[in-house]
Amino acid sequence: MDILVGWWDDYFWGSVVVAQVFVCSLILMIIFGLIGAAAKLSDNFIAQKLANGYTIVFRGTPEILVILLLYFGSAIALTSIAQIFNPDIKFLDVPPFWAGTIAIALIVGSYATETFRGAFLGVNPGSIEAARALGMSNLQTFIYVRVPEMWRLALPAFGNHMLSLVKDTALISIIGLNETLFVAKQAIGTTGEPFIMYIVVGLIYLGFSTIITLSVMGLERFGQRHLVSSQ
Amino acid sequence: MSFDFTLIIDAVPKILLGIGLTFQLLVVSAVLGLVLAIGIMLMRISGKWYLSWPAQIYIYIFRGTPILVQIFIVYYGFPQLEFIRESFIWPLFRDPFGCAIVALTLNTGAYVSEILRGGVMGVDRGILEAGTALGLSVRQRFIHLTSPIAIRLALPAYGNDVISLLKSTALASTITLADMTGIARTIVAQTFAPYEIFISLAIIYMILTWILQKSLGRVERHLGRYMQK
Repeated sequence: MDILVGWWDDYFWGSVVVAQVFVCSLILMIIFGLIGAAAKLSDNFIAQKLANGYTIVFRGTPEILVILLLYFGSAIALTSIAQIFNPDIKFLDVPPFWAGTIAIALIVGSYATETFRGAFLGVNPGSIEAARALGMSNLQTFIYVRVPEMWRLALPAFGNHMLSLVKDTALISIIGLNETLFVAKQAIGTTGEPFIMYIVVGLIYLGFSTIITLSVMGLERFGQRHLVSSQ
Repeated sequence: MSFDFTLIIDAVPKILLGIGLTFQLLVVSAVLGLVLAIGIMLMRISGKWYLSWPAQIYIYIFRGTPILVQIFIVYYGFPQLEFIRESFIWPLFRDPFGCAIVALTLNTGAYVSEILRGGVMGVDRGILEAGTALGLSVRQRFIHLTSPIAIRLALPAYGNDVISLLKSTALASTITLADMTGIARTIVAQTFAPYEIFISLAIIYMILTWILQKSLGRVERHLGRYMQK
């Protein structure tokens, strides 16, 4: 434990970065997933094809490749745009935080698309007919009937998606995000103790996974409270 | 910034030289991972706490940490430990290929054991009761009744795991292995043409995923052929 003295604060700030990436990518992932699900469920042929292409591409390519492509690709695009205005600029990049966050949100969003689609299809048609009969508008039906019923169906798979988001954060260290794995590399550079440093990273991620798993379990119990009491 | 097609024609054959290594990583760790997963799953459902607890802890640890961290612990961390350097398994950990195999196997084993457990749990109780009534022993019931049904039930989820294993093999490039991703990253470092190289690599991976998906779908249909009329 002696060798870890002096690195605790770095690991702490690294964990804060992991939490930030998680929150931002979670929001983006939900947005991408909902858009994808809406497109797949719509009657529009083009929207369906686009959403299909989106899920095929991002589910079929390795995560690390998407991250590298988004980061270096956007860097090249930005640099060439900047050079139009100022030829002295040699290199300009999107911050690794945002390149990585968007990349993992896109990847996990493609899985969430299928989850949300399945969950919306799982909503009991009777509930929707009842809402129609009560004179609810489409928007009201969506907010008061469809969403409350679908999130319970989507929750178990959605919990797994949240776990993949937090674990994929480690991959962003490859493009230079200063999260815990990156901190460990720096620490190893000075201390020469890779085993203990990487074990600490593993424990931090295990802590994040545990928190997510426990909160999903709690949410599941909350979502099914009306079923429990009737038993 | 323009899309250079001659570069792609130049780079794709070089990238494809790494496909052998990608396949080796995939097949070796898939087979070893499956063997490990069967063992872990049997421990998990044995009903004896001294077998099921270690299995549960193993699954919890390997599903709760990123595969990249696991690869780094095996590749950078283990050689630091004295008892590993002096043991007979040292040649395995000295070589990045061995390390990648160990990490991928341990990781996929944890996921697959849960998939298999789901399959075993999904077997209809009535069938097992019928087996008991016919006088089959526990072992006979497991081999002749549970296994064939559990395999069919677990196959779709197992296929997804093989595909995610294929994607995980790309991480072997972080520990100096020259698989397809490793070669592509070297080419990008030389040419600085990420669009051309990485997009062609992504297409190669998508084709591989598609082939895997189709062949697993065929196996699934073959095993489920009695269901179709």
